[in-house]
Amino acid sequence: MRDSRRLRLTLVLLLLSAFTLTALDYNSAQTGPLAALRRGIDTVFGPVQETVGGAAGSVADALGGLPRLGSYQSDNKKLQQANDRLRGQLAAQSGLQCQVDQLNTLMNLVSFTRYRTVPAHVVAVGPSGTFEWTATIDAGSVDGLKDGMTVVTGSGLVGRTTQVSTRTSRVLLLADPDFTVGGTLIGQSSVGFAAGNGAKPMTYSLASTLSAVHKGDVLLTTGSDTYAPGVPIGTVTTVTPDTNAISRTATIAPFVDVSALDLVGVITDSSRTAPRTPLRPLAPGPRATPAPCAAAVPQGPVPTSTPTPAPKPKPVPRPTPSGSPTPTRSP
Amino acid sequence: MTLQRFLLGAATVVTALLLQLTVIGRLPLPGAAPDLLLVLVIAFGFAEGPMAGMVTGWVAGMLADGLSTHEIGRLALAYALAGYVTGMLQDDTERSILRPFGVVLLGAVTALGAYVGEGILLGDPRISVQPVLRALVSSVPYDVVLTPLVVPLVAGLVRRLDVDPLRRI
Repeated sequence: MRDSRRLRLTLVLLLLSAFTLTALDYNSAQTGPLAALRRGIDTVFGPVQETVGGAAGSVADALGGLPRLGSYQSDNKKLQQANDRLRGQLAAQSGLQCQVDQLNTLMNLVSFTRYRTVPAHVVAVGPSGTFEWTATIDAGSVDGLKDGMTVVTGSGLVGRTTQVSTRTSRVLLLADPDFTVGGTLIGQSSVGFAAGNGAKPMTYSLASTLSAVHKGDVLLTTGSDTYAPGVPIGTVTTVTPDTNAISRTATIAPFVDVSALDLVGVITDSSRTAPRTPLRPLAPGPRATPAPCAAAVPQGPVPTSTPTPAPKPKPVPRPTPSGSPTPTRSP
Repeated sequence: MTLQRFLLGAATVVTALLLQLTVIGRLPLPGAAPDLLLVLVIAFGFAEGPMAGMVTGWVAGMLADGLSTHEIGRLALAYALAGYVTGMLQDDTERSILRPFGVVLLGAVTALGAYVGEGILLGDPRISVQPVLRALVSSVPYDVVLTPLVVPLVAGLVRRLDVDPLRRI
């Protein structure tokens, strides 16, 4: 027979201690001693995740190359080795090409919204995948990151940073049910909130019932203490008829598929103290193509698996000086 | 032997956690990813009994909690409970092939239930019907699929160390 008394005592102790820590952490979210514990774990695991997350791809490649090594004739072997090497180089280059494309689209986004971004790779995801939509990126406070910075790809919004440690940071993705962002539809001035919904599309609730929402409208971030303004979020897919006539809700298909992320950019220079100038990168003049759509719209309402928009980055039409709100930023 | 057992637990838990976060969690599987760390905890419980199961679960859960955005201690509680429950089912005389699968299924459902229960207590907005169902139909079956990979491995490692003060308590 098992020593059930000692067992039960230990069980109760473990469960109680875990729940006490949960309650403490619940009350003192970012400040208490548990935040220090969390930072400690992050600091230890961060660099390891960075290395393992980066190496995981090359290990898979190496394993795939093994069966080729078993040939008899040395010529054949040499040829095959050369072949493998070339193939590896080719693969590496196509990987690089992909990165170049992604960087290009990021730069494009940056060029019209004039934000400075820190590029980073996604190296890991959160531990409870069903409920939490988070990712770990390989940039941290040493790269100038802080909590609550906007994370983007060339296609649009990804999320925001939450727990920044020295070399890695956690990103709350836009699919997380805890995620909320202020959004404005292109061509409209009314403000609403887009919230994450897990695997389902985002929900956008509009404060005013007067503004018209149509399928296919593009949603941009409004800009707040946290989020940089003018970042494309997604397109409206369905509009639910307002039953209570207090607010209007719509579903939003995000431009970025957060389940397949690789290279992202963290906006570091979105100023927090300057007054909120209307930074929407639209030229309100004579029907100029809205700049964010040039990068965002060809993605279509359906999120694609890669965050690289296909179209060639066109030279973005600068807003003409005729009264257009040119983004002014004080350093 | 205690030191060796401790090192075995620490090494496997850290390895499983890193694999989970960097590789398994990112696999493009339909639905939600399997939880390798949980299966490891269950395997320890099943191989060594409730004490080893719940202690391993508690430590593994704490580490995973530290790398998450939810409150610290939530996965620790869920994993400890799962380790305890599956440890109670440890039986050296029973040698059925299907038994480990059932044990992993039970452990996975226990951990999910505990985590969801805590979330409801705390009013966590992330807990809703849809993701729970999604976990039940994707994550839990994936965990069961991992059984033949993890459970015999852990049982073999534990048997190699064999003399263990936590065993049979």
